[in-house]
Amino acid sequence: MIATDTFARFGRRMAATQGCPYLVIAETPNPIRQLDADALRVRAEAMLPTVVDGLTLPPDEIERRMQDFARGQIRPEGVVRSSTAV
Amino acid sequence: MSQQQIHLEADNLADLLLRAYEAAYEQGWTDGLPVIPAIPELVDRFVAASGRAGGGVIGLVPPRKGRATVRSAAVNAVMAGCRPEYMPLILAALEAMLDPAYPLEFMQVTTNPMTPFLLVNGPIRRELEVNCGTGCLGPGWRANATIGRAIRLMMINLGGALPGVYSKVSFGSPLRYSYICGENEEESPWAPFHAERGFAREDSTVTVFKASNFCNISGGEGVGADEILRQIATNMPPMYGGGDGVLLLIGINHAHSLHEAGLSKQDIRQRLWELARLPASHFAADFAQIETAAGRGDGASVWRARKPEEIYLAVAGGAGPQDVYIGAGMPQTRVVRRG
Repeated sequence: MIATDTFARFGRRMAATQGCPYLVIAETPNPIRQLDADALRVRAEAMLPTVVDGLTLPPDEIERRMQDFARGQIRPEGVVRSSTAV
Repeated sequence: MSQQQIHLEADNLADLLLRAYEAAYEQGWTDGLPVIPAIPELVDRFVAASGRAGGGVIGLVPPRKGRATVRSAAVNAVMAGCRPEYMPLILAALEAMLDPAYPLEFMQVTTNPMTPFLLVNGPIRRELEVNCGTGCLGPGWRANATIGRAIRLMMINLGGALPGVYSKVSFGSPLRYSYICGENEEESPWAPFHAERGFAREDSTVTVFKASNFCNISGGEGVGADEILRQIATNMPPMYGGGDGVLLLIGINHAHSLHEAGLSKQDIRQRLWELARLPASHFAADFAQIETAAGRGDGASVWRARKPEEIYLAVAGGAGPQDVYIGAGMPQTRVVRRG
């Protein structure tokens, strides 16, 4: 998945509801709609290593790398509500 | 929603009540307002009033896929302050919301503050005292306040749609506390909404719309059908999230004026469909393009619904030159079956 940082944790939670908690997400800072083509290209190139990882790493390795990180994103400890996205 | 129980003790009733509220809030079980503690004896009473088995599964509530059972619905109904006899209506509304054609998952997670709107028809309005007349969308009426609230608590507790966690809603909406009324069938000059949809008048039904807003339209009293409809249409702008149709709650004064002018509901739909249009130049180019692609525009103007039949009409409220426009669509109607 490619997402801005504002939506990445939300994206992972939604992916977890579909059985994919270890989805590889390439993030870039929000917002992006004001960027021109050159600036957008810089952002895209910065995300390329993550995209390549997602397409080439074996699932076991992705899970090993993501396990703790994904758990924290999907079920943030002790948080039941927040006025800023958690 | 797991049937988690907590044990609370206090030296006096006042402290116990406060602790119950604080505990429910800390657990994330509330909409922020105080709740009635869902003690097992109360939940049992609500399940019994539903006429169904407590373990009966109604469906999975997105996005977290919480199992909606009769018992879990009862827990939320107790917390919301409902009476046990509201249960059949709540379960019918829940079934409607879980219909695959109803976009509940989208509504739960989107940045747009869309929310279910419940329209109640038939004898059950009177039996449960669902307000259909004066102040029907406002505070002060238990059935309206708590049935809609039970729906929202289920969306939070079963579906997990807490803002900032599973819900990405930017602003939210006060409509998300409770958004429900009955149709004022007794003062309507036309067939009620559910009868138009093929149900018998004596059927009790609940219709769940995907709703996006609330807009009270004032004016037009006593100046004839054309001016009334023009005034209404001008206050029915196209909007994102409401693009699937319109629910117009016609006030009883205007309903009688329009009826006396010889207009049927279909006449009103057709006229509003023709009038509720704005130049495409009033909107962002992207929005105008999207609406045109969806059949609600022609490049030069944008209109409110693809066809007159997507303008849903019901009569509600008390006396006065007022109507309510709700960007709403995708209605799902269910018969309320009492145990």
